[in-house]
This record gives sequence, C-alpha cells and structure tokens, in this order.
Amino acid sequence: MSFEMWAEKYRPKHLGDMVDQKTIVERLKSFVRSKNVPHCIFAGPPGTGKTTAALCLARDLYGEGYREHLMELNASDERGINVVRETVKTFARSRSIGEIPFKILILDEADNMTSDAQQALRRTMERYTETCRFIMCANYSGKIIEPIQSRCAPFRFTFLPREEHDGYIKHIAERESVQLLPDGVEAIFEVCGGDLRRGINTLQGAASMNKPVDAKLVYSITGKASPSDVQKMLTTAINGDFLGARKQLRDMLQKYGVAGVDIIRQIHKEIFRAEIPEPLKMKLAGITGEVDFRLVEGSDEEVQLSALLAKLVEAGYEMKKLG
Amino acid sequence: MQFLYAAWTVKHKPKSTAEIVGNPSALKTLSDWLQSWSKGIPKKRAAFLYGSPGVGKTVSVEALAHDLNMELVEKNASDYRTEDAINRFAGLASQYASLFGGKRIVLLDELDGLMGNADKGGVKAISDIVKTARCPVVLIANSAYDPRFRTLRSYCLLIDFKKPIANSIAKRLQYICEREGIQADENALKFIAQRSEGDVRSAVNDLQALAQGKKRLTYDDVSWLAYRDRQESIFNVLRMIVYGRTALGAKQAVDMADVDIDMLFEWIYENAPAHLTDPHDLAQAMDALAMADVYRGRIHASQDWSYLRYVIDFMTAGVALARQNSKVSGWIPFKFPSRIMMLSRSKAQRALLKRIGLKIRRKCHISAARASKEVLPYLRIIFKNDVHMAAGIAKWLDLDEEMVEYIVGTKAKAGKITVFLP
Repeated sequence: MSFEMWAEKYRPKHLGDMVDQKTIVERLKSFVRSKNVPHCIFAGPPGTGKTTAALCLARDLYGEGYREHLMELNASDERGINVVRETVKTFARSRSIGEIPFKILILDEADNMTSDAQQALRRTMERYTETCRFIMCANYSGKIIEPIQSRCAPFRFTFLPREEHDGYIKHIAERESVQLLPDGVEAIFEVCGGDLRRGINTLQGAASMNKPVDAKLVYSITGKASPSDVQKMLTTAINGDFLGARKQLRDMLQKYGVAGVDIIRQIHKEIFRAEIPEPLKMKLAGITGEVDFRLVEGSDEEVQLSALLAKLVEAGYEMKKLG
Repeated sequence: MQFLYAAWTVKHKPKSTAEIVGNPSALKTLSDWLQSWSKGIPKKRAAFLYGSPGVGKTVSVEALAHDLNMELVEKNASDYRTEDAINRFAGLASQYASLFGGKRIVLLDELDGLMGNADKGGVKAISDIVKTARCPVVLIANSAYDPRFRTLRSYCLLIDFKKPIANSIAKRLQYICEREGIQADENALKFIAQRSEGDVRSAVNDLQALAQGKKRLTYDDVSWLAYRDRQESIFNVLRMIVYGRTALGAKQAVDMADVDIDMLFEWIYENAPAHLTDPHDLAQAMDALAMADVYRGRIHASQDWSYLRYVIDFMTAGVALARQNSKVSGWIPFKFPSRIMMLSRSKAQRALLKRIGLKIRRKCHISAARASKEVLPYLRIIFKNDVHMAAGIAKWLDLDEEMVEYIVGTKAKAGKITVFLP
C-alpha cells in the first residue's frame, strides 16, 4: 500500500491513458500531432477530467520537462484582477525556448474569476497569443464572459458513464490490494455520481478502515464526508419546510462542495420515486430540466435550486389539499 | 429679477391656515386657545408647539395670526441670552394689546437651539414671564420633553405637530408647480415627498433644486436624489418590496437602497420566504428571484449592463406581486443574509485551514477552497483510521504537526501519526 492520495497517484499521465471523454481526447491528440493548440475552455462538472486532460496535453506536447512550459493558476485562490495583470502577463509574454513556440497556462476554476479580471484576461490572451495558449477549466462555461468564449475552442466534459467509472475504481482497488465487493463499487457510483475524484477519495477513505469495502461501509464514509442526502432535502420541502430544505441545500453546496449539477441529477432521479401525484412528476421534471440548463448558462446554483425546492413545497401543499 | 431666485419656501409660504399641509387637529387646538383670550386670560398662558423640523410649526402660528388678524411679534430664541432681551420680552408679554390696538401674539422660536445646561437660568426667566403673561405666548421646539423644559412645560398647553403624510406633501408640491408653470409627473412629486420623510420644508427645497427653470418634471429627473444624503434603511426598502402592492412601487425601492444590487438581491433572497406563508406565493416569488438571477448571469456573460433592468424587475416587482394569499401574520424581523455571513470559524482557524488547502493544492491540482471541501473530509477519515496511511500522506503533502492535529482533532491522535514524520 502506498502513501499518497490515490486520486493523484492514478491520475492519467498521457492522453492515451484517459479512460473517458473519448471525442475530446481525440481532438486533443490531434493538437499534439500538429504541435498547435488553440485557446480552450474545458467545461464540465468536477471530477470529470478537465485538469487531467490539460496536464496530459502538456506532457504529451512538451515531453517530461513539460513543467517548464506550463503554469497552473487557480482562479478561486487568486481571482483578483491583479493576478491576471501581473502573474499571467509575466508568464504569457516571455518566449518559450524549444520546438514549440508557445507555453500553456491552465486557469483552473476560471468561472470563479470576477468579470473585471476576465476582461483584463481577454486582452492578455489576445496580445500574447503567439507566446501563450490558455486552457480555462470551469464547471459552467456560461460564467465565462462571451468575448473569451468566442476566442476559445469549447470542450464539454460529462460525468463518466457507469462502466468506465467502475472499471477505474476496480483497477485502483486491485493495485492497492483493497478487497472491493460488487455492491461497494455500485455504492460509490451511486453516491459520487461519476465524479471520479470523489469516487477515488471515497475508496481510499473506505480502505483506511481496513475492512472489505461494501455498500454499507461506503455509505458510512460518504455520510461522514458529504451528507448529500438529496432525498431528505426533498422530503423536507414536500412537508412544507422551505427554509429547512434551503438550509440543507446550502450545506451540501457550501460545506461539502457538492456540485449543483450533481444535485440536479439526483433530484431528477428522486422525483420519479417520490410519493407525489403522477401529473406533478412531469411538471417537476420539466422544471428540473430548466434549472439544469440555467446552471450551465451560468446562474447561481443555490438560487436556482431553491426555486425548485419552492415548487416542491407547493406540490406538497397541493397533495395535502387533495388528501 | 431677484424675486425669481427667491427661496420657494419663502415665496410659497402658506399665507393662511387653509394652505397648511397636515396637522388639522393641532391647528384647531392652537386656534381655539388663541381665540379664548378674547374671553379673558386662560389657565395656560403659553402654548408649547413641538415636532420635528419642517413639519410646519412656525408657519402655522404665522398663518393663524394672519387669519385671526393678530399682530405677531416673532423672536428668534438665540436672542434670549442677555438680560436686556429677557426684559424686552417681559415688556412685550405684559400687555395684551399692541400700540395700534390690535391683539398680539409673542412667538419664541427655536427654543431648543439656544440653551445648554449653563443657561438653565434663561429657561427659568422665560418660565417666570410665561406665568404672568397678559398676551398669548407661543413657544416652539423640536422636542418638548427635554428635561430642561420640565418646569416650563407645566405652565404650557402642549401641542404636538406630526409629520404630514407623503400624499399631502405631494399635493402641496403640485400646487407650487402649478404656480411656477411647471408640468410635473405625479410619481416624481410623490418620490420627492416620500424622501422628505414628513419634512415639508426640505421637500420644497428639493423641488426647487430639481424643477426651477424647467417646463416639465419627470420621474427620471428626480430619481437620482436617492443617491444623495438621506437613504432609506434597508428594512424599509425590504418592506417596500416584500409587501409592495404595485410593480412600480416595488421597483422604486431599489433607488432608495443603500446597498448595491447584488447585496439587495441577497437581502430579498434571505428574507422573502419567511414573509410569504402561502406556498403558491412562495413558489412564485422564488421563481421571480431565479429569473432575476438568470439575467444576472446574462449580464456577466455578455457584459451588457442594459439587462440590469430585468434583474431589477424580477427581484422587486416580481417578488412583490407574488403575494396573493399570504397573510401578514405578526411581526417577522428582517435578517442579515446568512449566505454572506462569515464562517463562524475563528480567524486563526481559517488561516490554518487555508494553509492546509494550499498544501493540498500543490499536490492535487485543486484550489485551496475546493480542497478544504472535497479532499479534507476524506483526509479526516483516513487520518482517524489508518495511522500508517495518514503518516504517508502527511509526509507527501508536507503537513506539519499543527495541521495534522487539526485534521484528526486531538493532540494524542496527532502524536501517533507525527512519530512517523521526519
């Protein structure tokens, strides 16, 4: 058993190692072949391989010394306009030595940048295109200002499908000699919804208990790590306690870092299982779809989702009236 | 020409009581008391008029003197420091009729402006004169309940002047506009009136500043006033939105808010639900807020701020008009937006958390902020359960003892891990 975070240890090193996002990977490989990369936006929920793809692209492009040609900036930690002005500019304008005339700047969580900083970035991108290519990673591409979007090739990452997710988790369990039971894998997918980073972290957390990893163990781990109990929240709303449900939503989003799109996916699933009148189910599914779209468009996760919770409060009230 | 630029508060000062804005009962009391002097000296020889600035205390006395055909001897109270002035005042008050046979009112204005504690003697002198006055003495102050006036008060008929309502003030402004040949929009005048908070004088001053020399006065001409001195408190703004009856009224609340649009949004988003008891109303209001948020996103993406008007429409009028069946059930306080509230963690703890986050970031390609949400919870589990794995990870991440202790929770448990560290 080795002692580091498995999510890092098993992060793919080359584009060829990536298990999913096949069409994206193919296009990135063609960038490597032509030794040219446009500015890119990698958009998609957490744990779907955006940063990994960017790092793999750099490694494949420059070889093992790729670190010299690469800068990783995290917009959530330093999202001010000054960082863009100073750090980014200094990096972007200095010429790269070697076969490839440009460097790569990965701007992670770019949707957390203020729009002022984004405006400043837009000019920098334009001015130093010759010497620097930008890869902007974001959960929601809609939060990137349009002038930047139009300068970038868009790539949309999606949650890993079941088989690939399971395959990857099983592969790691095998390498780390963890006894992983079938219902354990299933449970990991159920609670992490295809967010591979969370899936791997969950596996490692479960493995630290030194017991065979089954569904019960996985649920107890995730219960402690991120009680993303969507079902409980929906019940609270249907019973008429809007403020209580909103509080639960806020905890999921703020305290435990669950992605809005992930919650939406689970709500969508739960709606059809919930005990509410049949015609309401389609109405709520429609609203769920609208909220899903709005999130991608760049709206506030909590505000949009709590509008959906208010609809559930309304649905619960209608039901009570019907008896 | 000079008259053109005279202050409108002087130029359009009410001549008779019929023109006075508001306070009909105070006027009646004062009028009755003044007229009672013709039947002999009443029990109270002085009237004490009190009320906030600009509600029409002085002008009421002047108008009544005009209507009752009495001579008004007006003194500004700041003159009453010297013995000489007090004596002159005593002389005036000692006679009912004036030199020309008319009846007389002695008015002492701005009483609270003059005396500090040092001048207690001055108040006593005035009290003594009031006790023996042979003509009506009117005293004016903003507050009658200043402790310095305690004795004086007992000799006086107290008359409370209240703040006139906005509609009455707006009517008066309309009258002035007509006399000035200005065509004014009703909502523009209402806006000025509301902003004045019952201070008619300041409303007239504002009107002059905004309308003088214009042929027409629109709402757009006046709305910028909101950014000037007097700001509605956030609670009044919220009340206007959450309990607003008209779309326009709710929208106007934005101009009065002391906070920016995003912060106002948070206030509404925090507070509206508790004030909407009906589930349909609630769903409708939350939907309006979600729509406002959609337009906010569109502004952000396109950098086109002209969409701001739709953000405002939805977050104010949209929320106000959602109220159909909700009952006003008791008093519910407005709360500071809890989303904005700082984490309850202490500053030192936040700093430590940030340092751990930065350590994780170095290795895991994830922001410090996300690391504390997404990686730290798993580290806690691992550190509590598997000492060897924990030690390995601590070494790999380059965590120090303090950080390990924070993650596992106790010093004892941290010790079991840190023994393995170099």
